[in-house]
Parts: sequence; structure tokens; C-alpha cells
Amino acid sequence: MNRDPLLKSALAAAVVGLVVWGGLPLVRHRRYDVPVVKGPGVTAVHRLSEYSPGLKGSLADTNVYVLEGREPGGKALLIGDTHSNEPEGMLTAVIVIENAVVAKGTLYVIPFFNNSGSRNTRAGDGYPLYFDVATDWGAQRFRFGNRDASPLDQWPDPDVYIHYPERQLLSYIDVRNTNRTWPGRADGPLMERVTFGAMELMRREKIDVAVDIHGAETMFPVTNCIVAPERSVKLATLASLTLKATEGFENHVEPSPVGFRGLSHREIGDHGPSLPFLLEAPIPFLDQPTGPKTVKLLLDGKDPFLLSLSKKKKLFVPYDESGWPLEKRVGQNLSVTLEILRQFSKKTADRPIAIRGVPRYADVVKAGVGHFLADPATAPAGAVVLN
Amino acid sequence: MIAYYLITAFLLVLAAWNFVREKERRQDLVLYLLVMIPLLVRLLRWK
Repeated sequence: MNRDPLLKSALAAAVVGLVVWGGLPLVRHRRYDVPVVKGPGVTAVHRLSEYSPGLKGSLADTNVYVLEGREPGGKALLIGDTHSNEPEGMLTAVIVIENAVVAKGTLYVIPFFNNSGSRNTRAGDGYPLYFDVATDWGAQRFRFGNRDASPLDQWPDPDVYIHYPERQLLSYIDVRNTNRTWPGRADGPLMERVTFGAMELMRREKIDVAVDIHGAETMFPVTNCIVAPERSVKLATLASLTLKATEGFENHVEPSPVGFRGLSHREIGDHGPSLPFLLEAPIPFLDQPTGPKTVKLLLDGKDPFLLSLSKKKKLFVPYDESGWPLEKRVGQNLSVTLEILRQFSKKTADRPIAIRGVPRYADVVKAGVGHFLADPATAPAGAVVLN
Repeated sequence: MIAYYLITAFLLVLAAWNFVREKERRQDLVLYLLVMIPLLVRLLRWK
């Protein structure tokens, strides 16, 4: 009897079984939607494809929340999840959406800027697919994504990414990185269409201030800081000094390099009307020499290897047994954002942006991130938006 | 874009042909199957 076909069929069936077993959690993660409750200040929810039609029907399209004040004033854009493995940006944006009331001016908030990236993962690094934030009413589950968009949505990668319009040669992977594809093109690769959508939003709505909220490794020099180009650096410095004096945390200013293209803090100001700022809060989870990449590490930022490196002065931020918990990172981002808007309003009195209801650093550190998240189950009908 | 799909199809046929032809080395059979997974998924556009 010829056993060859039998063996091959059995092997093929085993491999198909393994693929299904391993693939199903990834399919569920890709389809999992995060509910966000429209807070008292939300006046409209748009799609980014309204500004960049090339996104329509793709998983790169995403929600844009509008919080229009009772009185006219300046306009600001807040962006979270540019890198979906830096969730402090997304959580900062969600807290603003669910809590802020705008008295003067208008806020535009995009909590899941790289929506495709937030539905991607980094299996080789053992990334968790989700993380839960403890709240007063239970736990809120969020997708934990990857730095880059999914190759399922944008494929193939080039050998080298040639930045548009500067033609600087960047790493091939950066074609899926929404902090390298600014200012983007209407008909470019999918991630260029995402950044083009945001640029169009800023141009059409005449946005004054754009804040792109990130997290960065403790071993990376550009961390715990505000990155600002020449035209924003004055406001960034004022915000940094004021926060040090009034709220007691360090957040220095880094200049945006002219020769490094594709980044939001460089291209937004060079190609549009807005003053760009990029916030970096230290996130130990992203450092290479840590223990396993667990949800616990993501939330509390405590790692014995980083502690040891800190004692050898190898980190760029203070680090002790208390780690860098999510509360500190999100609280810091909220305070820095509010302070930038306050400084802008002081300097540009005819275009003020006045917001209330948003917690600051001390509030979030004391009460926790979850305290400021709304319960979708008890929200009024029509108030929950899936992202 | 079409060229990339043609290359994918070509590589898939190559791996499948080797899988069918292989008679002795079981390890190679498993490797051919593993190589075929991403090519097949990409060709069928399964997400």
C-alpha cells in the first residue's frame, strides 16, 4: 500500500489545523471594536475619509470626534495611536472625548489614528493582543496594536521607502508607519492617505494647534519631552517650564530635526497652517532589555532589568521601584496638552481655546486612568461609538 | 501590484510541486507546507 498520499494529507491537515488554531485569536483581535462614549462636549463624529476619500472602505479609515465650543475661538487637533503600541496617546484622547467640555474654540480628536496598526500585533515580540484598564464600573478592554499598519491592509512593502515629497530614503517598514508618512498623498500608499487626511483636516478647518501623543523608550534620548519645530518651540518651552513649576514633573523640549523627514512635528508645520507638537511619555514596555512583554509591564512599567540599568545611569529618565505606570504617562500627556492650549490662548487672544472637565496629572495619578472612562453599558442610546 | 500576485502564485506552485514530488524527507514536507501558508493566504486575500 502506498502510504505517501496518506502521510501528506495528514501533514497538510495538521498544518491547516495549527493555522486555524493560531489564526483565530488574531482574526478576533482584528475585528474587536473599542466602544467610546461621546462625552458632554462631543458635537459631531466624522470619518477621516471625508478628508481623504482614498481611505473609504478600508480599515485605515477612522473616527474624528468634534467638540465645538459655545463661543468661537481657536482650533486644535489631538491625535492618539499614531503608534498603536503606545496606548497612553489613545487613552489621553479617549479621556478628552469622554470628559471635555469646550467653552471657547473647537477640538478635533482622533483617538485611533493608525486604525490598521491598532488591529495588528507583533507576534515575534510576544505582544499581548488586549489590555484591560480597571475602572469604577469594571474593566474596559482595549486592543493593543503594533507600531506599523497591518500588511493585510497595505501590501507590498517597497525595498526602500522614498518619502514624499522630499524623496529622502527611509526604511522599507516606514511606509506603514504613520509617523513617517507625513504629509502624505491623496493617492499614495494607504498610510500616506491617512496622514493626508489629517493634513486636509488641518488645512480645511484651519487648525491652529496639532498635538500628536506618543510614548517612547526610557533608553531612547527623545523621551519624556515635547518635540517642537522652530515655530512651536516657544510655546513648548513655556508649557514645559510652567508644568515643572506648577505640577512638578519634568518634560523637556526637543527640537524637531530639519533633515529627518516624514515626522508629524516636522511636516505638519512645513505643509499646513498648524503649530505641531509631539508628546513623548516614557513607556518601559517598549524598551528592549526588559522581561516578558506582559500586560502588567504595560500597565505598571515596572521592570527589574531597567531598574538595574537605571542604577548604572543608562536610562534617560528617572526610574525607581515605582516604575512608570500608565497613570503617570496619561496624566502627564493630559497636563502637557492642556498647558500647550493654555499657552496658545494666552499668546493668541483672538483665537482662544478654553476647555474644562479634563483631569490633569495629579488627578489621574491619584484616581487612576479608569476613573475617567465612561461605562458604555450605562451610556444613553446613541452615545456609544465603536472604534 | 498584479506582478506581486503573479510572483506569489509562482512561488506557491513551486512549493506545492516540491511537496508533491518529495518522497522521503518528512521534515521537508512540513517545511513546504509552512512556506505555502503565507503565499496561499495572500493569494486568496484572506484577512
